[in-house]
Amino acid sequence: MTLKKFFFALLAAVSVASMATTALAAGGPEVKFVGTTASRTDAESLQRGARLFVNHCLSCHSAQYMRYNKLVDLGLTEDQIKLNLMFTTDKIGETMKVAMTAKDAKEWFGAIPPDLSVMARSYTAAAIEGSSGSPPDVLAAYLRGFYQDDSRETGWNNMVSPNIAMPHVLTELSGVNKLVETVFKADGKELKTDHEAEAKAKAVFIAAQTMSSFEHHVDKKEGKVVNSYIVKTLNNVTPGLMTPQQFDIAMADLVNFMSYVAEPHKAKRIQIGIIMMFLLAFMLAAAIWLKKEFWKDIH
Amino acid sequence: MASTTPSMFTNPVLKWVDARFPMTGMIKEHLTEYYAPKNFNFWYYFGSLALMVLVLQIVTGIFLTMNYKPDAAYAFGSVEYIMRDVDYGWLIRYMHSTGASMFFVVVYLHMCRGLLYGSYRKPRELLWIFGMLIYLCLMAEAFFGYLLPWGQMSFWGAQVIVNIFSAIPFIGPELAVWIRGDYSIGDATLNRFFAFHVVALPLVLIGLVAAHILALHEVGSNNPDGIEIKKNKDPKTGIPLDGIAFHPYYTVKDIVGVVVFLMIFTAIIFFMPEMGGYFLEYNNFVPADPLKTPAHIAPVWYFTPYYSILRAVPPMFGSQFPGVIAMGLSTMIFFALPWLDRGAVKSIRYRGNLYKSFFAMFIFCFIVLGYLGVKPTSVWGQFGDWASFMDTKEIATWGARLLTIGYFAFFFLMPWYTKADKTKPEPSRVTFGEKASPAISPMAAE
Repeated sequence: MTLKKFFFALLAAVSVASMATTALAAGGPEVKFVGTTASRTDAESLQRGARLFVNHCLSCHSAQYMRYNKLVDLGLTEDQIKLNLMFTTDKIGETMKVAMTAKDAKEWFGAIPPDLSVMARSYTAAAIEGSSGSPPDVLAAYLRGFYQDDSRETGWNNMVSPNIAMPHVLTELSGVNKLVETVFKADGKELKTDHEAEAKAKAVFIAAQTMSSFEHHVDKKEGKVVNSYIVKTLNNVTPGLMTPQQFDIAMADLVNFMSYVAEPHKAKRIQIGIIMMFLLAFMLAAAIWLKKEFWKDIH
Repeated sequence: MASTTPSMFTNPVLKWVDARFPMTGMIKEHLTEYYAPKNFNFWYYFGSLALMVLVLQIVTGIFLTMNYKPDAAYAFGSVEYIMRDVDYGWLIRYMHSTGASMFFVVVYLHMCRGLLYGSYRKPRELLWIFGMLIYLCLMAEAFFGYLLPWGQMSFWGAQVIVNIFSAIPFIGPELAVWIRGDYSIGDATLNRFFAFHVVALPLVLIGLVAAHILALHEVGSNNPDGIEIKKNKDPKTGIPLDGIAFHPYYTVKDIVGVVVFLMIFTAIIFFMPEMGGYFLEYNNFVPADPLKTPAHIAPVWYFTPYYSILRAVPPMFGSQFPGVIAMGLSTMIFFALPWLDRGAVKSIRYRGNLYKSFFAMFIFCFIVLGYLGVKPTSVWGQFGDWASFMDTKEIATWGARLLTIGYFAFFFLMPWYTKADKTKPEPSRVTFGEKASPAISPMAAE
């Protein structure tokens, strides 16, 4: 076997091993993130997101590393920023601080609401570890995932981050959602086997048009193993100021803005990157030519 | 040297320097009259690349230090300050964070080259030992540096690693407190890790790299055929027949490697600096919180093969120490390679299938152990109820145990299988791999 073949064989073996991994992985709820996303270059979306952010998030959360004057990136003038987006300060170079003190926050919510400066880069880690969604996707799903739950002190619960301390602050916009839970079990009639129950549950999960989750539970009853497959979806029971579709877009805008806040230089970064790649491609051609010239006499 | 080597310069200033400093001598010894085998292939780019990444890390590190604050209250914020308010601070930071991971990519490939072509064998044992010391030093450097951003993974990763020391019998717990300077990772730990990361270890690293290069130039480079070019010298000049001057031949060749590397490096920095959470972990964008343990703590990817080995070894006599020993041994065992390998040939090109099988198994084990180390042990699910008699039902833990055995088998059985291996005859002169025809090596059969 030549060395090249050998390394290809090795590569194949490793990829088979990692594929086996995905096939064997089990447990944990599988959450389907439904909703639109917004483009980072869409200035209007970013501006709408900024408005939502300062009106609804900044009352409890800070974004203490983000400066107001940086928002000119979104196509706004400093006067527009001062007039429309600044409520806690009148200094344009100030960062997005919160008026609430940490002590009050602790008393009112039981926990200090986290700073949101880099939330859009970390959300996966904070919410469902091991999830496959990128942080902005999970963040958007989280914002869409609130439902009424009277067993909770706040009256709210969340599909993505169960039992989180944060209440649903955007109720006015979204209206009230309730959780619909459907359990699929083998009953010997319509669903003869566990396999059929699972297939049916999966089909419902995949077809769901709102945020939904699929869970596999294994219980033991009188020494017997009982498999149940649970699909949870959200149902809008009281309409808010926005239709579910409008709310979806609003959340996409908000997350778009939060992604911008998490890394304000991203657009510039990608721009420079493209120039660098062209520059290096040119350098590569020159380097290869130089090497060939020098190596002409080496055999 | 200054007096013995005639100056190569005509410029009067350089001539003046040359009379007082061995400039000509050094340039000749290490560049223009250092003869390297002419048949270097792809694998030989990674030495010069490692050197370049080291320089990159030092330079970007200096600029980061200008704005970073090694204080538990300000560290996280100062990194965000660099990312937002310092001109091109984000670029310097991404270069440094990507550079750390790419350093390990390059070093692992460089080490793999050493394994492939037997570069650790006589007379290059000391060269290999210096290299291994660099590798250990680099791991320490990366570990100390990872605490500095003061995110959740910084904090809990350091907590886990320092706790490893507390598993050492008798002195363990106090040793861990001594390392941390506190009962848990805190401000004192951050300050001392900063000192190690920016002063102590870089000094050691630079010294070791100098020793590594000096040792290399003393014994000469190995090559993909694993034969010594110094055996065939031009009787008149004393220059190896298969050797070419490092400068200009390999300097111009390495520039090609550098540019290709920079293309990959640039693509990561500008288009995917987090590398899907592997180079910059998502959890590290959450400030360190001693009261909130993340559900899943994984070290950065380059440590995970060893971390997997640590997790795979079950506690014995109520102590985690055996796992710690296994992990320590898995890194230290590389030092013994020059004496474990008893093969008749150095290069994998002329080794038999026995060696090739063991080598393939080792690489497979190393990569899959690394993969398992970034995942929770539940990643492959569990065995059924029949497995209740075992200490754990996690399939991945058992997988890691098998792979750990495979990892160590490569080393411990090496004296046997390298000797029993049916090797092919080595050529007497270097070849260019596939292009080599059997006709050029009739003498090697002797």
